[in-house]
Amino acid sequence: MKYQVATLVPLLISVFVNSVAAEEKIDVVLDNLKNPCGVAIQPETGHIFVADSAAGRVIRIVDGEEHDVITGSSIDVYGKGPKYKIGPAGIAFLDKQRLVVADSGFPDGEEYIRVFDVPDVGQPALDYDDCIKVGPLIATDEIKAEGNFYGIAVTEEAIFVTCNGDDTKGWVSKADIQSAKFGELSRFIATKEATDPQTDAPVAITISPGGYVVIGQMGEIGTANDSLLTFYNARTGEKRDDRPTGLHDITALTYSPKGHLYALDFAWIALEEGGLFRLDDDGEGGINPEKITSLDKPTAMAFGTDGSLYITLIGAVDKGQEVGKGQLIRLEPGL
Amino acid sequence: MRLIAVAVLTVFCGVASSRLSAEDSFKLHVPLGLDAKRIRIPKGNVLTAENVSLGKQLYFDKRLSRDGSISCASCHDPQHGWSNGERFATGIGGQVGGRSAPTIINAGYLNSGHLKLTKILQFWDGRSEELEGQALGPIQNEIEMDMKLDELVEKLNSIEGYRVQFQEVFGTDVTSDGIARAIAAFERTVLSGGAPFDKYKNGDEAALSTAARRGMNVFFNKAHCSACHAGANFADGGFHNIGIGMDQENPDLGRYVVTLIEGDRGSFKTPTLREIARTAPYMHDGSKATLEDVLNYYDQGGVQNPQLDEEMRPLKLTDQEKTDLVMFLEEGLSSDSYLEVKPPKLPR
Repeated sequence: MKYQVATLVPLLISVFVNSVAAEEKIDVVLDNLKNPCGVAIQPETGHIFVADSAAGRVIRIVDGEEHDVITGSSIDVYGKGPKYKIGPAGIAFLDKQRLVVADSGFPDGEEYIRVFDVPDVGQPALDYDDCIKVGPLIATDEIKAEGNFYGIAVTEEAIFVTCNGDDTKGWVSKADIQSAKFGELSRFIATKEATDPQTDAPVAITISPGGYVVIGQMGEIGTANDSLLTFYNARTGEKRDDRPTGLHDITALTYSPKGHLYALDFAWIALEEGGLFRLDDDGEGGINPEKITSLDKPTAMAFGTDGSLYITLIGAVDKGQEVGKGQLIRLEPGL
Repeated sequence: MRLIAVAVLTVFCGVASSRLSAEDSFKLHVPLGLDAKRIRIPKGNVLTAENVSLGKQLYFDKRLSRDGSISCASCHDPQHGWSNGERFATGIGGQVGGRSAPTIINAGYLNSGHLKLTKILQFWDGRSEELEGQALGPIQNEIEMDMKLDELVEKLNSIEGYRVQFQEVFGTDVTSDGIARAIAAFERTVLSGGAPFDKYKNGDEAALSTAARRGMNVFFNKAHCSACHAGANFADGGFHNIGIGMDQENPDLGRYVVTLIEGDRGSFKTPTLREIARTAPYMHDGSKATLEDVLNYYDQGGVQNPQLDEEMRPLKLTDQEKTDLVMFLEEGLSSDSYLEVKPPKLPR
């Protein structure tokens, strides 16, 4: 085990050497969002794209102003109280033109991975069906229909998406990229069966610098400190490692320009404990989560071209409401 | 063939609050299928032969109740799967509670979460943390054992055998804290594993009958049982609303009463399925007399309510699938090393 950790550390988790800034400066970029659940940076332009989930749209921010890029997604409701309206969730760019969007606003078995050719700035927004649809994952006699897609990660070879339709398996699904076309969306990694202890809800996803698929297993939202960090071979789906993090509910993972791994913790049962964390190797097979800043229901993040970190927040939610005072915030470069 | 994989947890000293030394360590036999690391033994309550023995005596001693009629074992009886075989728990004076008595099998096992940080929540509604936090609850409950702690401490201190043992184990006379720790230490030893399912998973294909193997496939796939009954203990450590009792005028709101989180209304702790053939009746209200009743309930999708778990929906199981599933539960999860514990001789 020590051998495994020692060899994986340079690839996967940083051993932290710099001190954490005492106070992170946070700018609010947008404060009119509705349960935003995805953020991505467009290659070449550096424009920020946000999945404004409960508004059923994807927007682009240019010079501080938002513009609709994709509109018209169906909306679903997640949770049993509190409840959150959810539409499009994770987003990621394949290249400058092609944006991948994960459905989360439709019934299980009717959700797709959608690939849009994004219009240039100033062009009309696309309709939500004006895309290439990959999927769905329908039910079989033995396997439940899949859906509740959340996080998206892409490599040159494939699109990966976290799914939360079937709680017996906790699928990460995959579609191969074949030039301009896409292979079938298929169930790829049964994360719940692969993890020890078996842990629900693959939600966060990113690709490590070494090419591993890195998953944040949220766990039970009513159980404290049960989020796992797991690493899988992107080609075979074979698990390489899993690490208890001590976090409650990881919703997003990303590597910084410096190579550090960061996580967002939604912390359903202890919202005041939610925030941005740097995940450091504790040297004992686990993770030492270093809190960078507290955040109110963080959902997604991406590093900008200048090293700024952009994070979406559901924010404060009035009692009985299903849409929060959503924000996109920016942390200065340096992480 | 190895019937039981025995991992020996030698729990050693380094705990200032325990008086006994490493030489008194208790050898806990962890059966095949369970992960020894996930048996939570708090640093402040090292397992020793002496405190486990003391806890066992307290567990079976009816003098811990006001009228001397009820012990922990009255409702958590090894003869009934460490439950009581009845729909509800019955306390002193024949008073009946509103929930069934959950089995204590593997109650000290951390089903999910972080080895150091995640608490093992006890009771159907998770209102207590760890076995130490649970042990004194029923003793003080007015319809269970109805003893005030100061009265209990005084009563047990008047029993020479207890006072001597407490001095040996904790270096004090009887205290409520010591009572909780000793009972918890004993309960922690009540483990179940090494069942045919575990042997099958360990490579012994003959350990499960053909019907049980078919039932296992239904369990982990079509019936979605493993969405909640997951992992080594067939329990996820979480709380779920499966609709039981939610059609009543004033339903038991379970976990909600503890957390006041709307989504927890009607949610109850996922029970272990190990030794389930011994623990009837089922559900938090004991409303299902047999496993067939349980499966028919799940097959219909439960009682609709706003917090009903998303896994609850009509399953469309065939009669054969139900029969096979019952076979898996009864045959596959019953251990031939089941802990048959007899009441010990009690101190005078």
